[in-house]
Amino acid sequence: MSEPLLSVENLKTQFFTEDGTVRAVDGISFDVYEGEIVGLVGESGAGKSVATSSLLRLVDSPGEIVGGEITFKGETIFGLEEGADGEPRPRDEMLSEEEMREQIRGREIAIIFQDPMESLNPVFTVGGQLREFIEINRDLSADEAKEEAIEMLREVGIPAPESRYDEYPHQFSGGMRQRVLIAMALACQPDLIIADEPTTALDVTVEGQILEMVTDLQEKYDTSFIWVTHDMSVVAEICDRVNVMYLGEIIEHSEVDDLFYDTKHPYTQALLDSMPRPDETVHELDPIKGVMPEAINPPSGCRFHSRCPDAREVCREVHPEARNLAADGEPKHSAACVKYDAFEVGYDESRPIETEATGGFSAGLTETEAEE
Amino acid sequence: MSGLTGSDDVPEGEPLLEVRNLCKYFDNDGGLFGGMTLDSEFPFVERNPSNVRAVEDVSFDIKKGETLGLVGESGCGKSTLARTVLRLLKPTSGSVYFKGEDLATISGEPLRQKRQDMQMIFQDPQSSLDPRMKVGPIVEEPMQAHGMLDDEGREARAKELLEKVGLDPQHYNRYPHAFSGGQRQRVNLARALSVNPDFIVCDEPVSALDVSIQAQVLNTMQELQDEFDLTYLFIAHDLSVIRHISDRVAVMYLGQMVELADKEELFENPQHPYTQALLDAIPVPDPRSDGRTALLTGDVPSPIDPPSGCRFRTRCPVLIQPEAFEMTDAEWSNVLAFQRAVKRRAFETTDRTEIRRRYFDDATPGGDAGTLIDEALGHIAAEEWGDAERLLTESFADASVCATEEPAYEVAPEYGDGRHYTACHRTRDAAIAADAAAKLNAVETPHAGGDVRADD
Repeated sequence: MSEPLLSVENLKTQFFTEDGTVRAVDGISFDVYEGEIVGLVGESGAGKSVATSSLLRLVDSPGEIVGGEITFKGETIFGLEEGADGEPRPRDEMLSEEEMREQIRGREIAIIFQDPMESLNPVFTVGGQLREFIEINRDLSADEAKEEAIEMLREVGIPAPESRYDEYPHQFSGGMRQRVLIAMALACQPDLIIADEPTTALDVTVEGQILEMVTDLQEKYDTSFIWVTHDMSVVAEICDRVNVMYLGEIIEHSEVDDLFYDTKHPYTQALLDSMPRPDETVHELDPIKGVMPEAINPPSGCRFHSRCPDAREVCREVHPEARNLAADGEPKHSAACVKYDAFEVGYDESRPIETEATGGFSAGLTETEAEE
Repeated sequence: MSGLTGSDDVPEGEPLLEVRNLCKYFDNDGGLFGGMTLDSEFPFVERNPSNVRAVEDVSFDIKKGETLGLVGESGCGKSTLARTVLRLLKPTSGSVYFKGEDLATISGEPLRQKRQDMQMIFQDPQSSLDPRMKVGPIVEEPMQAHGMLDDEGREARAKELLEKVGLDPQHYNRYPHAFSGGQRQRVNLARALSVNPDFIVCDEPVSALDVSIQAQVLNTMQELQDEFDLTYLFIAHDLSVIRHISDRVAVMYLGQMVELADKEELFENPQHPYTQALLDAIPVPDPRSDGRTALLTGDVPSPIDPPSGCRFRTRCPVLIQPEAFEMTDAEWSNVLAFQRAVKRRAFETTDRTEIRRRYFDDATPGGDAGTLIDEALGHIAAEEWGDAERLLTESFADASVCATEEPAYEVAPEYGDGRHYTACHRTRDAAIAADAAAKLNAVETPHAGGDVRADD
């Protein structure tokens, strides 16, 4: 296989708060190759958005990237080395803040955020914002940039782009605004677009239109995408490969078909089971017990063990690193669950444990009162 | 629960709530500049005195003990309908009969008393709980407002309810911020249940929750419905959730109800093109499925000036051909696509051959239609887009029966024996047949009072 476009190794992002260190992203690794859509799935609080912001070094204080390597087309976006005093310090070849701003953000890696209202400035016209972005990033004159902006608006399916160019964001519907943001992201023809839940706030019909448009545009421009979502249906529809995140870690990675038909990790399985199906009537849903614990104090061992139906004693003690479970010659399919033989930690001999979280609270509560 | 059931109970299966021709318009006469008029020459500022027709002429029944699902895209009037039904908003016209009494005509104290039987759960679990009140008092507040029980009784009941909705009674003294979204929604449930209502309106109660939590809350809601004999009006935009929880489903588009049928019937045998489009648009969590097909184009029109006739006609993929023409289906759909493309200014070229190649490659209409298309192409070549648009819209889109008559039909269901209402002119023949069959039946079994209208 060719070199990956973007490669992330053991990335760690932490937030230093008064209550302690929140390990929002705790050692994730993944690659993105040219022309593919890679999914990043997980519930709220799994660290998806922090992970994507880290890729562009957009994490603000009190957050900080504390470890790992991010390489994009041979350039080091983030990398540490051990300094003379034993403390880690940025390596020399790491891009400076200015280089990030001028070369990477927007031009090489664009990002589309979830909320299309928040991402556009309400006091400037939509066209003006798009034009400015193109003007700055592509060194065009104002007139050329305007022409290009109208062309992009038409490309993403905005009706009557010449007249809508002069309208303000509030005059656009949610779907239209998201189209404008996609136009903005595509305008500089970046190699990689990070889409952070771009269709979550939209209706299914509009979501369908936008996903269809993205697939078309992706074929046309051969852009790679990192698609962040919590919606397995969206994953099934557009992604080529998927990473499933739970509490700051990637717990399963595989090609999209394998994720649904050869699911390895109990969390992924539980997530799939808990969804109501649109194509058949399901009478009883099978929800995941409890809620995701706080990243400030994650459970010992496997982080999912407190909610896992397959949890055993050993899960409490051993922290599994994701391992490739696919047979030789098959595409990579890794999962972080000790119930597979590859881990060899004695899962089969271990005693099953009761999963603690039932109503969402796990500890420190006295017995409930007897029913009347 | 200890002797709190109402006396005027409606038997299971009978209509608990009957909504008839309900309309809710919002005007902009009120507010700071409400009474102000502007000279037409006054620059930069426009005031449009027209109404937003948020809900228009909606009729349906909700039977005791059932869950009626209400779906539609954002902005179609779902929440307005729910609030009007609960009489949180005063209807512009129409009636809402709750247990036989018209809520639209009462107000003040009698209405407040009625509220004990009708409760609501809101979408946003964050903002629907007072952050400065503890969970216990939050649950007790409605009981206090309705003078139920004494202090101790209320506390005991609040704790009992917290347990019923899957929380720990020990959380009585916690503040809402200590709870996750799913748990807050459970507190909302407990609060709604506290006054022992018959009817709960759930306005997107699980849309803000993660899928795994969503399933927990949905299961709890179903258990509670069985235990307390509740009737739900369940609003959601997620059709998977609706399919899971509802008994019957109503589909709304731009303030009107376009289809209403039993769940299985609606999902397996949808009659209205809008319902079909919605169902086609649901993503299936399966990479091997074909994905979504035949997506709708265009945007929802403004409810200030909705299209005449069928409101969906401006986006309908199967608009009926005006009677004046005799085009084949392929020709007609090309004309339709062309008309909408002109309206959207979806192309730049003004070259006749280029446009013809793009829109009429496989089938070119002849006769009168061909002449009209030619004329429109002439306008476009002369860059008179407005004229071309007007010509095409007037002669094709606005001449269709979909634009001239409001549809309302009832067809025979294929699944189950519930009634199936659909507002689409394409079902006219089926509706006439169903009507005839029903009349034949009516000789043997008397026809029950209808919740839907049938024109023909």
